[in-house]
Amino acid sequence: MGILEAVDLAKRFGDVQAVDGISLTVGTGEIAGLLGPNGAGKSTTLHMLLGLVTPDSGTVRMFGLDLARHRTEVLSRVNFSASYLGLPGVLHVREVLDAFARLYGLRRPRRRVAEIVDLLDLGALARRKVIELSSGQHTRVQLAKALLNEPRLLILDEPTAALDPDAGDRIRGLLVRVARETGTALLITSHNMREVERMCDRIHFVSAGRIVARGSAAELASDFGVDDLEEVFLKVAREGTVPA
Amino acid sequence: MSVTDLAYPPLSLAARRRRIGGVVVRDLAALRRSPIRVFEIVFWPVIELVVWGYVTLFLQAQKVPFIVSMLLGAVLLWQVLHRAANEVAIGFLEDIWSRNLLNVHVTPVTPAEYLTGLVLFSLTKIAASIVIMAVLAYVLYGFGLLTVGIGLVPFMAVLMVMGWALAVVAISCVLRFGEGAQVIAWSLVFVFQPLAGVFYPVSVLPQALQTIAAFVPATHVFEGMRAVLGGGAIPWDRLTAAACLDVAYVAAALWLYGLTLRHARTKGRLSRFGE
Ligand SMILES: Nc1ncnc2c1ncn2[C@@H]1O[C@H](COP(=O)(O)OP(=O)(O)OP(=O)(O)O)[C@@H](O)[C@H]1O
Ligand SMILES: [Mg+2]
Repeated sequence: MGILEAVDLAKRFGDVQAVDGISLTVGTGEIAGLLGPNGAGKSTTLHMLLGLVTPDSGTVRMFGLDLARHRTEVLSRVNFSASYLGLPGVLHVREVLDAFARLYGLRRPRRRVAEIVDLLDLGALARRKVIELSSGQHTRVQLAKALLNEPRLLILDEPTAALDPDAGDRIRGLLVRVARETGTALLITSHNMREVERMCDRIHFVSAGRIVARGSAAELASDFGVDDLEEVFLKVAREGTVPA
Repeated sequence: MSVTDLAYPPLSLAARRRRIGGVVVRDLAALRRSPIRVFEIVFWPVIELVVWGYVTLFLQAQKVPFIVSMLLGAVLLWQVLHRAANEVAIGFLEDIWSRNLLNVHVTPVTPAEYLTGLVLFSLTKIAASIVIMAVLAYVLYGFGLLTVGIGLVPFMAVLMVMGWALAVVAISCVLRFGEGAQVIAWSLVFVFQPLAGVFYPVSVLPQALQTIAAFVPATHVFEGMRAVLGGGAIPWDRLTAAACLDVAYVAAALWLYGLTLRHARTKGRLSRFGE
């Protein structure tokens, strides 16, 4: 059974066709990347997968369940983190995580929060107010939140955008480990080509709301006759060329 | 550890209770960490009570019977309605202010659970306001809420429910029209102040307004309150009417919330707050 099956998603905002018929599958333990220029429709696609945006047409199934009809069951096993999200600023990090552990219906919120604080090395931040955190620290707390419910699908919209190279490297390592060890599937967007090359098993190239190419980083480079993903990106973004 | 060991089955009662608890726990923690919010609980009740208390004392000197209890009772009950309407709306607005709305909307929390959590949390703040005011009314003016109090409890309950319905309407307005509509969240309840005969009998209103007022739950509460404070029995017919109107208000508010939430998801508005 696939973790995620999205079929023919489309979304129009006024005059803008943000997403124009995207189909996508992600399997157990797979790390999938959604790549494309600004405004290509990546975030909109992720938001449709999360039920934040209702598609004009198309369907989303996760774990064999239809999202529109089984929202609560599906969202219990999914989580999300994005660079543009905030958290209640006056709360201590531990309190935020505790609240979200409950919002995900966990049996032992405190114990789970303690595990996650260890996993993400947040011990030193646990008693600090969210509003005092640097943006990199904030990102780590967001990721901690996103791992609380041991999601079977983790959707990340530019998760490492605010991290320094060291922290970014560690988080990437952690995410890959989570995927390999627990079978959690990852769907991420990123503008960091090296990150995508390193992490993603499969890459879906989005341009103007459509998927124009897919494959592993190596496959894409060879299809486009270039050396690496960055050059693939430039070709797709600037020339809109797609190999036959 | 499999998912079922970690979490309750998503549709179970235990899971729902845990998720509602999450909303309450979060807001309680925010209250504890934010003295400004505590200030709010104290500020309005005290100001209103002091102003109206002295108005009362002045009028009492003019020998108007029952005036102390009637006006102070009105101030107290009005605060119940006002707080119920505002506290629930604040809980929601805080998610918008902190750009946390998307985080909440990708959890399995249902709209009903979310609103229930906000309502339960507001109960603690309303209770605090009532206690503060009751103590002050007694200390400053010798008005013992408890001596007339028991009869007023059902009236308070009716007002709270109406306040919650108004809050859900206010939340819906913000969802629909954006953060600018916060003004509505704070002022909606005051639309009902002249109509509901808070400080005067509805009979002084023109006939047309009286007709409209009959469809406001609070009207029956404040009329009933005057009857009780004037020494009469609890007017159960008024209480029943108010409770029935409450049910209609709540149903309409929830319907509106469902509608605006669907609209917000269609227009992609949920991700467009706080930017
Ligand atoms: N809620 C919305 N209302 C109106 N237009 C929207 C909305 N959300 C997205 N759009 C438009 O849809 C298009 C796709 O936006 P989207 O955010 O999905 O792009 P993206 O691929 O995530 O870009 P970026 O790399 O810059 O994050 C853009 O033209 C954007 O202006
Ligand atoms: Mg984006």
